[in-house]
Amino acid sequence: MNSALKGRLIALRPAIFRHEFILLLVVAVEWFYFNSVGSRFGSIDNTFDILRHSVEIGLIALVMTPVILTGGIDLSVGSLLGLCAVFFGKFWRDFGFPIELAGLGALAVGAAGGGLNAWLIGSMRLPPLIVTLGTFSLFRGLAEAMTHGVDTFTNFPARFLHLGQERFLGLPAQAPVFLFTALFTWVLLHKTTWGRSCRAVGFSREGSLYAGLPVARRLAGVYVLTGVVVGLAAVIYTSRLGQAKADAGTGYELFAITAVVLGGTSIFGGTGTVHGTLLGVAALAILNNGLVHARQPREVAGMLTGLLLILALSASALPRLAGRMLDRLKAAKKQNQRNL
Amino acid sequence: MNRCLSWLMIAAIGLVTGCSKSAQKSSTDGSKPDAGKKLTLALMPKSKGNAYFISCKQGADEAARELGIDLIFDGPTDPDPAKQNEIIENWITLGVDAIAAACENKEGISTALRKAQQKGIKVITYDSDALPDARMFFVNQATGEGIGYGLMDEAARLTGEEGDFAIITASLTAANMNEWRKHIEARLSSKYPRMKLVATRPCDDLKDKAQSEATALLSANPNLKLIMAICSPAVPGAAEAVKQAGKTGLVKVMGLGLPSENKNYVKNDVTQSVILWKTVDLGYLTVQAAAAVAKGELKPGAISFKSGRLGEVEIKGDQILLGKPFIFNKGNIDQFDF
Amino acid sequence: MKKFSRELAVAGTLIALLLFMAVAAPSFFHPRPLLSLLTREAPVLVLACGVALVILTRQIDISIGSQFAVCSVCAGLMMAAKIPLALVVPATALLGICLGTINGLLVAGLGLPSIVVTLATMVTWREGLRWLRQGQFVTLPENTQWFGLGQESGQVLLVVASLLILAGLAWGCRNLHAGRRLYAVGSDAEAARLAGIEPRTVTFFCFAFMGMLCGMAAIMNVVQSPQVDPKSGTGLELRAIAAVVVGGVSISGGRGTLWGVLAGVLLLACISPALTHLHVAAYWDKAIQGAVILLAVMADGLQNRRRPAGGKEH
Repeated sequence: MNSALKGRLIALRPAIFRHEFILLLVVAVEWFYFNSVGSRFGSIDNTFDILRHSVEIGLIALVMTPVILTGGIDLSVGSLLGLCAVFFGKFWRDFGFPIELAGLGALAVGAAGGGLNAWLIGSMRLPPLIVTLGTFSLFRGLAEAMTHGVDTFTNFPARFLHLGQERFLGLPAQAPVFLFTALFTWVLLHKTTWGRSCRAVGFSREGSLYAGLPVARRLAGVYVLTGVVVGLAAVIYTSRLGQAKADAGTGYELFAITAVVLGGTSIFGGTGTVHGTLLGVAALAILNNGLVHARQPREVAGMLTGLLLILALSASALPRLAGRMLDRLKAAKKQNQRNL
Repeated sequence: MNRCLSWLMIAAIGLVTGCSKSAQKSSTDGSKPDAGKKLTLALMPKSKGNAYFISCKQGADEAARELGIDLIFDGPTDPDPAKQNEIIENWITLGVDAIAAACENKEGISTALRKAQQKGIKVITYDSDALPDARMFFVNQATGEGIGYGLMDEAARLTGEEGDFAIITASLTAANMNEWRKHIEARLSSKYPRMKLVATRPCDDLKDKAQSEATALLSANPNLKLIMAICSPAVPGAAEAVKQAGKTGLVKVMGLGLPSENKNYVKNDVTQSVILWKTVDLGYLTVQAAAAVAKGELKPGAISFKSGRLGEVEIKGDQILLGKPFIFNKGNIDQFDF
Repeated sequence: MKKFSRELAVAGTLIALLLFMAVAAPSFFHPRPLLSLLTREAPVLVLACGVALVILTRQIDISIGSQFAVCSVCAGLMMAAKIPLALVVPATALLGICLGTINGLLVAGLGLPSIVVTLATMVTWREGLRWLRQGQFVTLPENTQWFGLGQESGQVLLVVASLLILAGLAWGCRNLHAGRRLYAVGSDAEAARLAGIEPRTVTFFCFAFMGMLCGMAAIMNVVQSPQVDPKSGTGLELRAIAAVVVGGVSISGGRGTLWGVLAGVLLLACISPALTHLHVAAYWDKAIQGAVILLAVMADGLQNRRRPAGGKEH
């Protein structure tokens, strides 16, 4: 074997153990398994189903990535989705806004919600976990208070419902929005200094401060961005369902966090990738969809998700552990040699 | 280098599976099944892990065995409204012959059900309805109005048509309970002017939370005469609260619940009436009706329908009626084990 | 005094709320319903104490609700099978320890982040339990309610038991080696290791202990009514964690006392009944709960403005 090729292969070795690669294998294994078990699994219709069902949650997971990269977390995203959906319905039905303006209104509400998180976490320097735990209740509570829990908004115009339910250029209509946001987030996090400073803040807040990075502004920006994208997800959700209700988006935050962590982003911040998150979303979406085709009940999906999360994390922890054990063995060996 | 590898592999998978499957027609037209093929019926509860729907499943399984059809029973484990739609869309792709769904969100689920109908899948609803154009029939244990009025009338009978009462519901967003509440309040204002609804509290479908809410209600409203629990875990929860507060007999408890969960309370006069319907029969009738619709034996416009061991069942318009709600009380509760 | 300023602030808020209720809705203070409220909150207090210990070591455990549910159902099934209570209690505690050990092995042994591990175990236990029980209640035999002691005595027993556990743990945190180790590991794990305290051992035992407390809280819950609802743990983890943080335990570890947790649990538990007594419509509940949590956290933040942030916050 010629040495240049050998060199390339050796350089490739760490890549094989990279988290995203393992996740890619998981996605592939899932795909092939469900293909063999379910007759209609691999069809175009089903693939579009998977895509359509994962757009809103995918958007939230995408935008959760910079949040977790900065070492924070946002548990309020699901509740904010519900609040934006309710406001969207209210703007359109009760205030009489044209649907496009109501959509912008939903984005504005999302930005405001994100802004509250941003102010408390960025400026007041409160811990993100507990702040977003508070806003998790607050946003859902506001949505329920506005509708008294009972009110729902429906009968949206057909051209609006087209976004969530019909096709555009052969793909589900919400797919271009998702692809654009994915690309935008990828460029933002991997190619801009904004993204790099997010990683720096997550890696060491103190260090970033001393390096002159505008930490408070960066944190604020991350949460506001999250809010805006959640507003967008709320609009797409309402269009897909044809209905806006106060309990929209219940449970989405945990799914998003699972997808992001599955994708290899460290929950402590500092490392992570957008394509990892996308793979995480894909792995979970395929799992949920495939199990229906495999005629398994929903609960199995939940249990397998938990198991998958642990296995994926353990798999990336193993090289580190193995390294540690090897080091210890080497040290012990050296000690023995010295003693001899 | 690593990233390139990732993208390459994703593209490779896409190509391989796309090529292999696009040849296979993804037709999900559920046209009349061939004579030898088994019918596949998909039954959806409002949510899984709910004892009420499990008892419906008992009847459904019985009917499926009798008719020799394949029954899929699945539903959301999450409270998110969109989950029901996602499962239905998965079933459309799976190519089931008929769907019978208990709808959490009337308008929301109709979006998915209409799609199913467009693909030739027969759709009926049971327990909670969708919009009429999204399904062929609604298997109703009783109309929403019937349930609401029935609850209010029973409450009035127990309190002598006067006094304060409170309602414990599952969550403020639960669609069919909100419909019942609407009818309860309408009946209250039109027929029982000397009764007053002082509070409506949600219990999130948890027995323990219902007990806490009932305890607070009892102490906040000293003139409370009755607690109406319209979500099934709330009935034993409220009863336990009344018992622990020492107000057995002073504050009546009634509601929509399963007889098995309330036996002891009914026998000890803590709970006066538990209203429900024979959920096993509801499940049985739903599967019978769905199978008949899928085979083309039951068509719109029919006024009655022969459903196995239940005999001739009345059809009013597009509603297949199970019959009247059943009141479980001290005298008959032992006969039921669901 | 300054050291306990956080706990005093929460206690102050609680007292202010109680004074307000005394004026606006005195019916809140009827002894029997109040005792019932405290009894229902006793298991939550025990869970909150446990999760406070976990948070002190700079970890978190969001699977306590699911562990609680699993232990409750198993305890219920054992009691329904006529196994005597004297055996059921240690068996449930042991089951709790096993569940906690799984968390502990993954976090301490493999070094995985606790929030993710406990997220995974939470989902796994919850879905598994739902699959097995399908929502069906477990009916308990007649004489098991209140340990067979009758309602009044049983309620007082449970409340006193939870307070004793709290007091015992609070004393232990301050005076036992094990307790001090928690604070050490939570403040700075590396410094603790250099001082001879192995953080991973402390973390492991902390999770196992949390599991045992889940088992005990489950027993305390199960004996309060004649049926066990398999959904009983829903939302408990968020309530417990919110109560802990509202009570002044820092989420980044190393700071806080269990007395603050008591104030936090009581404050959050009183909100919903207070609203019922004030005849406020139910749809304001969640918004007000969220606002209270945020205000409590903001008060914490304003107070610590000048304290430099050490290491990673979460």
